[in-house]
Amino acid sequence: MLLRQFLIEWKLYSRDRVAMFWTFLFPVLLLLGFGVIFRSQGPALTLVWSMPAQASAADAELEQAMARTPLKLLKLSPAEAEARWRRGETAAQIEKDQDSYRIRVNSYLLAQGQGAAQIAQQAHLLAEARHSGLEIKLLPILMESPGHAHATNYAAFLLPGLIGLNLLSMGLFSVGMVNVSYREKGKFRRLAVTPLPKWIFLGGQILHRLTVVILQSVVMLVAGWLVFGISNQGSYLALALVLAIGTGCFMAMGFALSGFAQTTETYGAISNIFFFPMMFLSGVYFTLDSAPKWLQEAVVVLPLSPYIKALRGIFNDGAHLSDHLAGLVIVGIWALLAFGVAVKRFKWA
Amino acid sequence: MSALALKVRGLHKQYPNVLAVESLDLDVPRGEVFGLLGPNWAGKTTTLEIIEGLTLPDGGVIEILDLDWRHQGKEIRSRIGVQLQSTSLFNKITPREALDLYGSYYPKRRSTGELLDLVQLNEKADAYHITLSGGQQQRLAIALALVNDPELVFLDEPTTGLDPQARRSLWDVIRHMKSEGRTVILTTHYMEEAETLCDRLAIMDHGRILTTGTPMELIQQLGLPSIVEFTFDGEAPDPTVFAQKLGQTVEGRGDLWEIPTQDPKGLLPCLMEFAEMEQVPYQQVHVRRATLEDVFLHRTGRSLRE
Repeated sequence: MLLRQFLIEWKLYSRDRVAMFWTFLFPVLLLLGFGVIFRSQGPALTLVWSMPAQASAADAELEQAMARTPLKLLKLSPAEAEARWRRGETAAQIEKDQDSYRIRVNSYLLAQGQGAAQIAQQAHLLAEARHSGLEIKLLPILMESPGHAHATNYAAFLLPGLIGLNLLSMGLFSVGMVNVSYREKGKFRRLAVTPLPKWIFLGGQILHRLTVVILQSVVMLVAGWLVFGISNQGSYLALALVLAIGTGCFMAMGFALSGFAQTTETYGAISNIFFFPMMFLSGVYFTLDSAPKWLQEAVVVLPLSPYIKALRGIFNDGAHLSDHLAGLVIVGIWALLAFGVAVKRFKWA
Repeated sequence: MSALALKVRGLHKQYPNVLAVESLDLDVPRGEVFGLLGPNWAGKTTTLEIIEGLTLPDGGVIEILDLDWRHQGKEIRSRIGVQLQSTSLFNKITPREALDLYGSYYPKRRSTGELLDLVQLNEKADAYHITLSGGQQQRLAIALALVNDPELVFLDEPTTGLDPQARRSLWDVIRHMKSEGRTVILTTHYMEEAETLCDRLAIMDHGRILTTGTPMELIQQLGLPSIVEFTFDGEAPDPTVFAQKLGQTVEGRGDLWEIPTQDPKGLLPCLMEFAEMEQVPYQQVHVRRATLEDVFLHRTGRSLRE
């Protein structure tokens, strides 16, 4: 009976092309997109050089020094440089200031601008030193993941995050939204007048979602391996366990939230309140190093953040479950809380 | 086995702002087609949903096929068939799959082919639910209500929103249920439907049953078997003055005057003469038999469709 319910869930689900796309293809596209764009060490930093037609000897020395840094240099006439600046496309610009130079940073593009400015500063120091007869050596920079497993591969950072994010969106949007819409449209009521035990219906749904999540993760892992050569560094058992804990936690959250909304519209609003902060604050796309300290500490108690950390640790760096015990306990507590609320609030009609 | 398929005593349901059902009693013998008749918001659907086990009552006793919801819920569910006012299925399930699926929930079931034949959905058996017309979806909902070969079938406004032809074809299906010996309890706000389908009726308004009986009995209880109607071109004039002079009740409704009477033969000649004298600008005169609509109007002071 449970098996039949599970199979019919899959059968009906497989007819929904849009859902299939969002579930299986979209995360892979995200991974490919971001992974390719930031293929190695992230986007190259560009510096605009507002340079008069007649280059001085100092200019030539500075340019030589810049060539030793990873900066991408864009030499423009002062008029062109100003036009580019006004269009808002320039993050950082170096220009003549009396007998020396100054750097202007676009306050809207602070992250890139400051990065470029720092490197330009170094280049200038290099040139100055050489000018006074000193030869300075730049230190080599090595990029590596915490477990020394991956170097200069943003996709490796991204993949576990995307898997975690998928679990969250699956729970909040797929499970929760579907529940609310079934209730709103009366699909549950039609079932409630049959002798079908509720646990079979719910069990069928949960099994279905669970297999969807497993398949989804497998698809992404295979895509990551084929395109970027990323592979699991930890044990597959630990990975599967962590995936199962996450599925349980985020699905329970979807169930719990669905108990608070009467209509799909209100559910959309409620779930976004949970989804967006977690997505942005949990280090899926970028780390929170530069965020205020209190925020970094507050975020640790949200489930997605420790979850992704654990996933990343195991997958990228071959960590053991015990290394991430505290984080997984937080996820487990969230799962239990959400499950309790879900059971208490769940209504058929 | 009791002769009653359903026995309800003192059913009560209070919603935050409305008293939906007020001390309601109901007896439905086995094999009967029983109609709950009333306007929207009369409490028909709430009553039905309580009996079907979807809504908990605040008080009252329900015996359904000699079983009790409190102890024998599962057995009741497997022996009744329910068509809800709106049956929502997955958009991309076919009638054949839906009948197979819902059938699989019951210990006893009728074959999908037989049900598709019964509601004439053979041609659409493998089309997605979302592509079916309103009438076809409703026929599927009724087939689903029959999937477990139920002894007692609940139909909540089975023909609302259907065109006359679709309505008649559903009536045939309901008559067929009766011929198979099933008890049918349906709600409707269509008079004609209640008159042709139901063995007995209860008229409901404001959560209470106003009167119960066969359609014939209800009309006879009215004591005014005939109605003379004056039809006007556009809105009917105010009948008060005319009624006073005539010494008869005249009810103005839309483009009509209605004059209920026990003796149309005697009334008509003098009515015509009088109307001529008063220069009433009527277009046509009809004499008709009283209907359930008149019973309802008489009992509640309101029209059923209002």
